[in-house]
Amino acid sequence: MRIKYQFKTAVTGLFTHKSRSLLTILGIVIGIASIILIASTGESAEKLITNELGGLGAETIVVRPGKQPKGPSDFADTLLSDSLKDRELEALRKKSNVPNAVDISPEVLISGSALYQGQTFKPVILGFSAEFMEKAMQLRISDGDIFTEQDIRGKARVAIIGSRVKQELFGEENPIGKNIQIKDTKLRVIGVYQQRGQVVFFNADELVVIPYTTAQTYLSGVKHYMQIVVRAENAALVDRVVYDIKQTLRDLHNITDPDKDDFHVDTQKGIVDQVQTIIGVFTIFLSLVVAISLIVGGIGIMNIMLVSVSERTREIGLRKALGATDKNILSQFLLEAVLLTGVGGIIGVAIGSLLSVFATIAIGSYMSTSVAFAFPIIRSLIGITSSMLVGLVFGIYPARQASKKSPIEALRYE
Amino acid sequence: MSLINTKNLGKTYFNEGVATNALHDVSFSIDEGKFVAIMGASGSGKSTLLHILGFLDRHTDGEYRFDGKTIDEHSEENIAHVRNKEMGFVFQTFNLLARTTVLENVKLPLLYSRVPESLWNERALSVIKSVGLSHRLDHESSQLSGGEKQRVAIARALINRPRIIFADEPTGNLDSKSGEMVMDTLQKLNQDGHTILLITHETYTAEHAERIIKIHDGEIISDDLVKNRRTTNHFIK
Repeated sequence: MRIKYQFKTAVTGLFTHKSRSLLTILGIVIGIASIILIASTGESAEKLITNELGGLGAETIVVRPGKQPKGPSDFADTLLSDSLKDRELEALRKKSNVPNAVDISPEVLISGSALYQGQTFKPVILGFSAEFMEKAMQLRISDGDIFTEQDIRGKARVAIIGSRVKQELFGEENPIGKNIQIKDTKLRVIGVYQQRGQVVFFNADELVVIPYTTAQTYLSGVKHYMQIVVRAENAALVDRVVYDIKQTLRDLHNITDPDKDDFHVDTQKGIVDQVQTIIGVFTIFLSLVVAISLIVGGIGIMNIMLVSVSERTREIGLRKALGATDKNILSQFLLEAVLLTGVGGIIGVAIGSLLSVFATIAIGSYMSTSVAFAFPIIRSLIGITSSMLVGLVFGIYPARQASKKSPIEALRYE
Repeated sequence: MSLINTKNLGKTYFNEGVATNALHDVSFSIDEGKFVAIMGASGSGKSTLLHILGFLDRHTDGEYRFDGKTIDEHSEENIAHVRNKEMGFVFQTFNLLARTTVLENVKLPLLYSRVPESLWNERALSVIKSVGLSHRLDHESSQLSGGEKQRVAIARALINRPRIIFADEPTGNLDSKSGEMVMDTLQKLNQDGHTILLITHETYTAEHAERIIKIHDGEIISDDLVKNRRTTNHFIK
């Protein structure tokens, strides 16, 4: 039987029961739409995170206290360990120890609110180096100036604030030269950052950046650092710098067995790899759930195809009497099932893509950044193909039932 | 050589361990170009016989040869091909595809044939014309009268230029006028050289054939030529 006519027959068969056909493919539509939604938002999120992390510079290296966390319980070690202090910072700053490091700054994170004339805001308070912040995160100043190394050494009580902090505390007023209060310490605002939005794990607009020495002395009261951020001369030297950092700290702490390290070193590449792995695992897990929904959809297809075969028993008998072979009948019903699920797949891809665009816009607005919608062409094709495969697999049994009908029994069927 | 040849043909159905003898010791032959009626009351076995003759069912006893070959000498695929190419079927209930036009219904057997697609329309138009339905080409089967439906079924049976047409109670669902038209069509086809095997329970309808084989309880009780054959010929000119 000519494929063109088989196709026509299949389309006629499906259009005869429009609402039934639509309801039948609903399971497939939902399954495929979910695949596309998960795949494209996963891809967009991955792109966003890797771009943002990439924005920090591939040459950025982070030294953290405590051993390399291998599970959730190890993070406590990182938070509680005080293995990174001034002594370690000074050792790392020595050119003889880490010759290929160009910038080094410790980081101190403070929890607290900022006050200005009765206005309160809870910002992200970061004790850091303003120059490093500018170089590593591309955070630029819109007003005023950044604090210098001299300010850091002198524990100057100065701050650079994010655009949202400025808005919340000062409104339209010029904040430069004004004092904000964090805990009991007054800090003079010397600069305001340009609006930037979400940068990886924090919102740059909600930052208050102060010299790390100031943060230690007046706000945290502890001598150790949360982390020390190091910038290598270039990305190719990252491995070399990591090696030098490890050797320097091991020598300083008299560690001979690397398993007993009381610090760990993360590179941006390592973080990007980790994030990609997590997103990958998450995507696979969700895809498995979707695969199960496709199987359920397939069972629905089989059920309806069996009903259709039963309803069209006389037609099958007639076609056989007029010369159709078992193979003709089998392929006709298989084509119907594949067409049904194929259409379901296409509708699913369309709906999934539409939802993905909305989801991407939503993520973008939440993260205050623009996220490009990544239409997963390959996954769409896989989605449509797999839906057709579902039709083929679950259509086989009903189609075989149809093809095996005796023409006489079928013609007598009422 | 006869087109149809049966020798001591029998058919026994087995249903839940109970054997029912539907046909017994049926022997006859039909030559090409003849118009033969098989007549019998309901349950006499005439439809069972037609199904066996049309390769739609298999006999259990005796022998049946179509054009010299038994059904067992054909592969399953070839049986379908014989039904498609050599035989045409007309059923009492028309069996047209719903929501399908006259033209598409008539073309249906071509879908399973080896006839080149370029000839399909020409052939379909020609047979539709021969049953007088050229003006109904694009009408769906549901828009036709009973008589028209049966004439579409006859056109469909003719499309592959079969050697025999099996007509199973073709007037059974029709009023007398429509029935007469259908019988005229069959007679005309016979005059053009087609072999017709008609199944009916009515003497009046059977008398349109040239020979009547009467069946009762699965056995042939008479096999005679029709002395006063009915011909009206007011429809086919």
